[in-house]
Amino acid sequence: MVLELQKPRPVWQIMFSTHHTDVGLLYLIMSIAFLFLGGTLALLIRAELFFPGSQIIADSMTFNRIFTVHGTTLIFLFLLPSASAVGNYFVPIMVRYKDMAYPKLNAIAFWMIPPAGALIWLGFADFTWYATPPYSIISSPGPAADMWIFGLKILGISSVLGAINFVVTILKCKHPDMSIGQVPLLAWAFLSSSLIVIVAIPTFAAALLMLLTDRLGVTGFFNPVMGGDPIAYAHLFWFTFHPEVYVLVIPAIGMMYEIIPRFSRKPIFSKSSGIFAFVLLSVVSFSSWAHHMYATGMSFTEKTVFMLGTLAAVPASGMHVFNFVATMWNGRIKFLTPMMWSIGGIALFFSAGAGGVANAAMPLDFTTHDTYWVVGHFHLFVMGTIAFGTIGFIYYMFPYVTGRMYNETAGKIHFILSFIGTVLVFFTQHVLGLYGMPRRIFDYPEIPEWIVMNQIATVGAMIIGVSMLIFLINLIHSSAKGKPADIHDPFGLGGKYYYPFESKNPHH
Amino acid sequence: MRELLGLFLVLAILVIIPTVDHVFAAADEPGEYIDRRVLIWNLFFRMMVAAFTVGAVVSGTMIWLCWRFRESHPKATPTEYEKSGEFGAPA
Amino acid sequence: MGHHSNWPEWIYVGVIIAIMCWVGAEAWNVERLVEHVPADAETIIVTGQQWFWTFEHEDGTKEVGTLHVEAGKAYKFEVVSTDVNHSFNIHDYVVLMDAIPGRVNTVWFAPDKAGEHDIQCREYCGLIHYNMRGKLVVEDPLT
Repeated sequence: MVLELQKPRPVWQIMFSTHHTDVGLLYLIMSIAFLFLGGTLALLIRAELFFPGSQIIADSMTFNRIFTVHGTTLIFLFLLPSASAVGNYFVPIMVRYKDMAYPKLNAIAFWMIPPAGALIWLGFADFTWYATPPYSIISSPGPAADMWIFGLKILGISSVLGAINFVVTILKCKHPDMSIGQVPLLAWAFLSSSLIVIVAIPTFAAALLMLLTDRLGVTGFFNPVMGGDPIAYAHLFWFTFHPEVYVLVIPAIGMMYEIIPRFSRKPIFSKSSGIFAFVLLSVVSFSSWAHHMYATGMSFTEKTVFMLGTLAAVPASGMHVFNFVATMWNGRIKFLTPMMWSIGGIALFFSAGAGGVANAAMPLDFTTHDTYWVVGHFHLFVMGTIAFGTIGFIYYMFPYVTGRMYNETAGKIHFILSFIGTVLVFFTQHVLGLYGMPRRIFDYPEIPEWIVMNQIATVGAMIIGVSMLIFLINLIHSSAKGKPADIHDPFGLGGKYYYPFESKNPHH
Repeated sequence: MRELLGLFLVLAILVIIPTVDHVFAAADEPGEYIDRRVLIWNLFFRMMVAAFTVGAVVSGTMIWLCWRFRESHPKATPTEYEKSGEFGAPA
Repeated sequence: MGHHSNWPEWIYVGVIIAIMCWVGAEAWNVERLVEHVPADAETIIVTGQQWFWTFEHEDGTKEVGTLHVEAGKAYKFEVVSTDVNHSFNIHDYVVLMDAIPGRVNTVWFAPDKAGEHDIQCREYCGLIHYNMRGKLVVEDPLT
């Protein structure tokens, strides 16, 4: 049943299937493809910044397009779909239901993503991943910008459909014997993040439409020349995309909640505090959006309110870290690849969080806002925490998906190189920001400190690039030629897995 | 209880509003300006001292945990949950 | 599930909340001091446009790209934009304020020593954002 690659089926049977593991497989393959596409763009950016001046990218317009598509791709076409992949595989199993609540809707939500990805990549817009007006209205060349807007519109609808599906599956389709408190933490993570999506995304969806009509010249919501206000867009955008950070990070933490107890051979220290922290995070995620906008001329009072709202998220995040540490305590930890990625992810989660607290302190905005500090900070989240958790989980579910084992040594090398690379790139970028280098610049003046730190960051990025190549080879080779996995206990840990060995719902 | 709460509220208002007032009423002295570089960078370094202290505790704990509770540690013993397989998914 | 004490977690959460209160209070205090514009500050109107800065002093003199100020005086920048968003930044003096069309944002500073410093744009504004740079020249008082 789930051993897709062991019992080959014609590819269209997977493509036109509505079975949750098939849709999950599609999500997984697509998100890994976009991980490599977006990662290649990152390497291009880093290579260009190795020396001041223009080397490999011809002009600043191309560079601006590259970092725009890099960010859009990795957030919307890698992180979100890879979380959906995990959710599709595991949520129905965890709530003991035969499939997702709405299988066809599930497949539709997936199939909206490739056209959206095509719009984004074929357009190659240049207005950064947050499309600031008035630049995006009066200055950004079409049709790239319009294609980006439509692409994001489609992705937003897809996210909302997926989120509705998860919420209904978990709340309405869970086994009647199961109380909501018995739902595993990974499924709770999807419940929390899906609720955030449903509340947050419509705001941005509206803003996108307003942006489009502004570009067409029929309205002036965000165009000051027509009496509009660009700051209104910033509020609408961040009201969606600050919570979106938690939409990304909560499933990653849920994945760590699946891996860490298993590889420590202990139950989770406190499930109730995990649930509590998830719910608390999804509520306070809506109290901090304007901390992205301290420099736009906000009043002292506004800044204070949003600083407090931001700091309020810290205790809940800290509870997760406590839970992980307390779970590992007195355990018997087996350091296989998934566990290493999870522990690395927690360490970087702390670093990213500490940087986030510094960002929330409003006067520090004068030094760090829109510099490489910010780039380093959020990359520690998206790469160091979310991608680490996700990649660890991809290794963890690999035997379940393919019926074979990945190469353990290659997996460990992948982790070690990625960890070193991540620390080199993103910690250096923090310091670079303190030296005042603005983000989103194609070229920089020959300031010796800037040159050295850019070069360190580039070397780190190349190390990550090499490690990801190892990952790709490992995935492809092992899924075809890897050792057959003992599907009842592929990691030799004892205990029970959420791997269904006999499906109640064969492929239809 | 309610009276007590009310009393505290009144006291808090009596103390807080004058403090805030006092703080904002700080008079300007012409020619004497605060140096924003000093204030902001000092704040930054105070925050970093706190962050690195907490970071040392957290990462130190995690490194010790990984060292002490690894499978290959001489004192490693099976956890109490291993025999029954009572971790992970319920039966 | 384990039968364990919850006290360590409560203490831990308490410590986090205490640290966050400290961070908030410190930040609030510094922000309050930094935002208080001295009454005798001279106003300079800073205009950002794709892709250069223009400065207008109180006496009406205009400068493009390079800003001359005197050490020992306080200056209040009124930052405006004529096209898209920019961000006016003198990193050495920790001065930063967005230039948003349709708004006047203010930020102030008091240079203390003669010298030259970089001015740059920190908000993405298009093609030549990377080179939207200027110079701040702090001069000794003439007296």
